[in-house]
Amino acid sequence: MNLLYTTLGFIGIYLYVSFASLLWEGIDRKLVARMQRRMGPPLLQPFYDFLKMVSKESIIPRDSNKLFELAPVFALAAAIALLAYTPLGFGPLFGTRGDIILFIYLLTLIGFIRVLGAASSGSPYAQIGAQREMIILVSREAPMMLGIFTIMWRIRDLGVSKPFSLRALYEHNIWEIGTPMSIIGALILLFVFMAWLASEIEVGFFDIPEAETELAEGTMAEYSGRHLALFELANAIKAFVSASLVVAVFFPWGVSGYLGLTGLPAVIADLLFHTLKVFAVLFVSMSIFRAVSGRLRITQAVNMFWTRLLPASIVGALLLVIDTLGVIA
Amino acid sequence: MTGKLEYWVKVPVGPIHPALEEPEKFIITIDGERIINVDVKLGYNLRGIEWIAMRRNYIQILYLAERMCGICSFSHNHTYSRAVEEMAGIEVPERAEYIRVIVGELERIHSHLLNLGVVGHAIGYDTVLHLSWLARERVMDILEAMGGNRVNYAVNMIGGVRRDIEEKHVRAITDMIEYYREEVMPKIEEVFLYDPTVEARLRDSGVIPKRIAVEYSAQGPTARGSGVKKDVRYNERLGVYPDLGVKPITPKEFTGIVKGDVFDRMVVRVGEVWQSMELIERAIDQMPEGKIKAVPKDNALLFQLKKAEGEGIGRYEAPRGELIHYVMAEKGRDGPARWKMREPTFPNLFAIARALVGEQVADVPVAIASIDPCLSCTDRVAVVDANTGKKTVLTEKDLLKLSIEKTKDLNPKIRGKPEVVGIGCPRGDVL
Amino acid sequence: MNVEEFVKAFGGRFPEAEVRVSENKQPHPKRRVWVEIDREKFHDAMKFIKELDPKAQFSIIIARDAGETLEAKYHMELFWEEGESLSLVIGTSVPKENPKLPTVTDVFPSALPYEREVQEFLGLFFDGIPDPRRLFLPDDFPEGVYPLRLDDTGIKPEMVKNAGHPYRIGGAKK
Repeated sequence: MNLLYTTLGFIGIYLYVSFASLLWEGIDRKLVARMQRRMGPPLLQPFYDFLKMVSKESIIPRDSNKLFELAPVFALAAAIALLAYTPLGFGPLFGTRGDIILFIYLLTLIGFIRVLGAASSGSPYAQIGAQREMIILVSREAPMMLGIFTIMWRIRDLGVSKPFSLRALYEHNIWEIGTPMSIIGALILLFVFMAWLASEIEVGFFDIPEAETELAEGTMAEYSGRHLALFELANAIKAFVSASLVVAVFFPWGVSGYLGLTGLPAVIADLLFHTLKVFAVLFVSMSIFRAVSGRLRITQAVNMFWTRLLPASIVGALLLVIDTLGVIA
Repeated sequence: MTGKLEYWVKVPVGPIHPALEEPEKFIITIDGERIINVDVKLGYNLRGIEWIAMRRNYIQILYLAERMCGICSFSHNHTYSRAVEEMAGIEVPERAEYIRVIVGELERIHSHLLNLGVVGHAIGYDTVLHLSWLARERVMDILEAMGGNRVNYAVNMIGGVRRDIEEKHVRAITDMIEYYREEVMPKIEEVFLYDPTVEARLRDSGVIPKRIAVEYSAQGPTARGSGVKKDVRYNERLGVYPDLGVKPITPKEFTGIVKGDVFDRMVVRVGEVWQSMELIERAIDQMPEGKIKAVPKDNALLFQLKKAEGEGIGRYEAPRGELIHYVMAEKGRDGPARWKMREPTFPNLFAIARALVGEQVADVPVAIASIDPCLSCTDRVAVVDANTGKKTVLTEKDLLKLSIEKTKDLNPKIRGKPEVVGIGCPRGDVL
Repeated sequence: MNVEEFVKAFGGRFPEAEVRVSENKQPHPKRRVWVEIDREKFHDAMKFIKELDPKAQFSIIIARDAGETLEAKYHMELFWEEGESLSLVIGTSVPKENPKLPTVTDVFPSALPYEREVQEFLGLFFDGIPDPRRLFLPDDFPEGVYPLRLDDTGIKPEMVKNAGHPYRIGGAKK
């Protein structure tokens, strides 16, 4: 019976997140348009786009292979599977000890599947896009993983039920430690996470694999119709999920406690509040970043990850570690 | 498998590509992200203007010249008028010269603002595109008020100008300059001289060294960005420009160094917008009263030109660089025997193609955008008809027939018999 | 070097060339040097110009079908670093039976695209051109048709009828 409820809840979450992530895309486009003093598309434009693309014919290039058609399905499947391990204002549905590793794995898998799909399309634009995506993929994970494992390790000491699980983030958070060192460390890591989030959803500096004016949409160059629609949905969900991770790590507080709700209403209230926080994080990391910056060259972006963000992440992690050791009182 | 493996990839950029505003084709051979060779193919926008001009008279060609290109429409018929004036020995009234300066510099401002936005778009910085194009609307409004059109303002006439500048225009222009001085230019300078993203992307990309710029005869801001002190208004002592004190602008005056990269070309454009505003102000101050046409009646002018003989060259610094027109007259003919023009984009394209070798793919769009290519100017020359060779090409009719056959195969009950409607040239022998 | 000095230097080196100076009626009159020279001496003349000013800027090739002959005029800008530059037009002509000129790409590398353009539009060919491919015309444009020629190798009226539409509707009238 419990499993049945969980499954129903999972389907509900999938529908909700699909809606919320597409809605965010609409909000983002509107906000950026206002920042650029344009009118912008209607708020529900991503939904219209999605429905239109689903009804369109999908053109398969002659030189492509089977993976080209399978990749969007895989990507969406990975995105849906990811939802089962995503903290959405409450612990993940199928969460367990060490699920953070599975979470990162699935998140990276979506990017990898995009690379596979692009590489099998046979288009030179898509192949350059795939190369770039692969390079970014390996560069961006290191600072993020270092940060998240340090935080997980640190809050384990505060006494959580399942160490290294995403649920633990809702039991204790990094701000509770409260020492100056840990707060500085956490702030540095927050910055690293915001940069990682921007690169995960490929905006601003990191709009490199899809670079519209350079590669004509790069990895997505040859996709059309249904296949593109599936990819777009998977990407929108991925953006929502990545932001959820940032929210869960740094801003895990819920509202149900204050409102005195329990049971299903509490879950719904937390989910809605979580969605608001995700939109806020995405607003900073996506809309503003997109409006005030241009694209970097691939070498500059990789350089930024290895010579700026990774050292920042190391410093942040060290501050947290030194704090536990009690070297400086 | 014989021979060595080829790791190089050929990437066609164009004829239709999101980075290009107009159809052209760069075939780029790359090794990873590094460019090994760039080949240029033109002609996707051939309209046969030189050939059309063989059947037009001098005054009709003015309008044809104007429609070569939307952005620099003033430059084309200005240069053409100068070539005809030199050929026929017509002296232009001084007031007309000043009006030409004012309209020409207004056009330069709008063209440069446009290009600054396009370069912003090429590096994915869309906010720059939207805001600089918003600022450009103001100068477009002025041009519309003066010429009646946002482009193709038809200001020039052989031996003068067709439209006078009135008091209200002068007021509007002064307001516009004020607006640009106070509100737009500080922001533009902030973005293109000091913004770290822009600097990271534009510095050291698409470098044209001075040697290459001289060797490949690069023109306009492309050349001046490489430190070549060349400006037709200055070198040719064109019209009344020497009285207004025009000087070639190089990035040296702004940043102190000349590298010849995209950044420097943008710096030159920003500087030229400043310069144009000053020139307009001075021209308004110094403009004398008087007539604006050497020959008031068009038919009298045409009659005078019909008797003329000789050849003339007109040169003008269009927003993109040196524009040159050549006109040769034959006695008793009401049109030129030969009319030939060269646009600045033409040499610039080959200079940039040479300069891109060894750079990264990411720099291609921004480097191409930085010369502000105007392909409809460049592709202008011959008659287009691709179907006179021996190749059998399925005609529209054949395709329609095949399509009908297929429909009948699928569903024999369908009766309709569609006809070719509305497609094709009206002069064609069916329609 | 100003106009007089140039005319003297050039006339001294190539006495058979026909040199004239024109002046227009602008507020600051601009003088241009027009040179006519034989095909045989043409390449040497270009080399001499390059020696006079190593930074000479190549502007344009104006080619023309002049009945019996094909004319080519090259516009160049010299001494542009010294303020007012010198505008030079150097012309030559070739008979239509043997429409060949020596290439000047070895002297002015930027002349290549112009030579390619003249080759395809006027059928005036350049000896030793490093890259004789077409530049503007489509690859399937018929051989031996030069659009700007005025004789029967030019554009024929029936080619014009459907110009602008690549596929004829109803086929050509024979």
